[in-house]
Amino acid sequence: MIEVNKLTFTYAKNALPVIKELSAIFNRGEITAVTGKNGCGKTTLSKLMTGILHPDCGSVFIDGEDISGMNLFAIGQRIGYIWQNPNRQLFCPTVAEEIAFGLRNKGLSDVEISSETDRYLQMFRLAAKKSAHPLLLSLGEKQRLALAAVLSLGAPYLLLDEPTGGLDVRCRRLLGVELQQLAERQNCGVIVISHEDDFIRRFCARKVVM
Amino acid sequence: MILTNLDARVKLLMLVAVSSVALIIQRPLTLAAVLLLTLILLLAGGVDRAKVWKQTRAMLSIIGGIFIIQCVFCRAGLPLITIGDFTLVTTGGLQMAVVVALRLLIIISSALIVLTGEMRDYLLALRWCRLPYEIVYMTLAALRFIPLLRDEAVSIYSAMQMRGYNIKSANWHKRIKLYLAMLLPITASALHKAGQMSIAMETRAFRCMPNRSEWRSLQFSRGDFIYTAIFFVLLIAIIIFIKQ
Ligand SMILES: Nc1ncnc2c1ncn2[C@@H]1O[C@H](COP(=O)(O)OP(=O)(O)OP(=O)(O)O)[C@@H](O)[C@H]1O
Ligand SMILES: [Mg+2]
Repeated sequence: MIEVNKLTFTYAKNALPVIKELSAIFNRGEITAVTGKNGCGKTTLSKLMTGILHPDCGSVFIDGEDISGMNLFAIGQRIGYIWQNPNRQLFCPTVAEEIAFGLRNKGLSDVEISSETDRYLQMFRLAAKKSAHPLLLSLGEKQRLALAAVLSLGAPYLLLDEPTGGLDVRCRRLLGVELQQLAERQNCGVIVISHEDDFIRRFCARKVVM
Repeated sequence: MILTNLDARVKLLMLVAVSSVALIIQRPLTLAAVLLLTLILLLAGGVDRAKVWKQTRAMLSIIGGIFIIQCVFCRAGLPLITIGDFTLVTTGGLQMAVVVALRLLIIISSALIVLTGEMRDYLLALRWCRLPYEIVYMTLAALRFIPLLRDEAVSIYSAMQMRGYNIKSANWHKRIKLYLAMLLPITASALHKAGQMSIAMETRAFRCMPNRSEWRSLQFSRGDFIYTAIFFVLLIAIIIFIKQ
C-alpha cells in the first residue's frame, strides 16, 4: 500500500501551493486512476510520490516506509515511474539497449538480458524498431518503449503519468489488459494518471479525483 | 526610485561600467568601495535582501576556493605566514587574493542589477545600440533555454537511477560514462528544439518585413537621468579619491 499523508507542495517560483493537504491510499492488486483537470497537480503528485520532488510538509509511505529517507535508486526498486513526456526518460542509443539498461542493473546474465529484451520488444510491438534510436520513434512508440523499459524491472508498484495519450485504440486496450494482469496475477499496485473516462471505467478499480 | 523601473540601457551601461572598473583597477580599497556602491544601489533599488544573499551564497564556496589558491600560489612581497622555513602566504599573495575575490563579488552583484529587468527591455536596449535584431533575439532566446536543459538533465538523471542505476556504488569511471550517456539525448533535444523553434517563429512571421517595428519603446525619464548621474559621479569619485 502506498499512503500519501497530508502532502503540501509549492513550486519555488509560485506563491500558492499546487497541492494542499492531500491524502490518499493506493492498494496493491488493483488499478487506481488519478484524474483532474489540466494543471491541478497530477504530475506534481506523481513526482512527490517518487521522491523526485520533496514536499513542503506531509509524507509518503510505501508499504509503511517513509520515502523521505530513501534515494531515487531505492525508490526505483519499489515504484516503476513513467514520465508524462517520454523524451525525458529515454537515454540509450538504441531501442533494445533502452530495455536492457534496467535488466543489466538488476544483475541478469547476458543470455537472460537478451531473451527478456526480446520478450518485451515482442510484447510492445517494437521488434521491428529494435536498433532504431529511441528519440526518432513516433510519440506512441516512445511511450510503449518507456513502458517496456519500466515494466521489465518488475517493481511492485507502477505509476504511469498519462500513458495512453499517444497510443492508438488497440495499444490502449492491450496496455489496459496487461496492467490488469499485472495487478491480478502479480499483485502489482498500478496507479494511472489519465483523462480518459473510457479507459478508467473499463480497467480501474478506484478513482482519485484531484 | 526602484531599480525595476530604471531604463534598461542605463542598467546595461552600469553593468559594463562597474565590471570594467572591477577588471581594470587593482587597488583593494577602491574595489571594496565599488562593491559597497553596487550593494547600496541594489538594496536602495528595492531588490530583496534575501534574494541578493541567496544568489551570492551559491558562489561563496567557489570564491573561497579561488581566494585560497591565490593566497598560496602567488608569491610576491614579504612573507606573512611561515611554517618552519616554508613561507605559506605572502603579503602580495594575500593582496592578490583579496583583489580577485572582490572582483568576483562585484561582477556578481552587478549582474544582479541586470536581473531586475525584463528580457524584452534588454532586447530593445541592445537594438538601440544598433545590434542586428536577429542576433540579439537569438542570444536572449538561447539564454532562456538554459533552465529547460537543466530540467531535462535532472529528469534523465532521475530516470536512470529509478531504473536501477545505483549512483552511490558506481566508481568514477562508471560515473563519467553515465554523464557522457546523458549528454547525447540532451544535445539532441536541444538541437531538435532549436529547429522547431525556428520553424515556429517563421510561421509567425519572424523576419517577414525588413524593418521590424516595436510596440514598446524605451523612455529615458528625468528620474533615470538623476539616478545615472549620481551613480556615475560616485563611481568616478571612488576611482579618483580612494587610494592606498
Ligand atoms: N517546474 C515548475 N515550476 C513552477 N510551476 C510549475 C512547474 N511545473 C508545474 N507547475 C505548475 O503547477 C501546476 C500543476 O502542474 P502539473 O504538471 O502537476 O499539472 P497536471 O495536473 O499534471 O496537468 P496536465 O493534466 O496538463 O498534465 C500548474 O499550474 C503548473 O503551471
Ligand atoms: Mg501532467
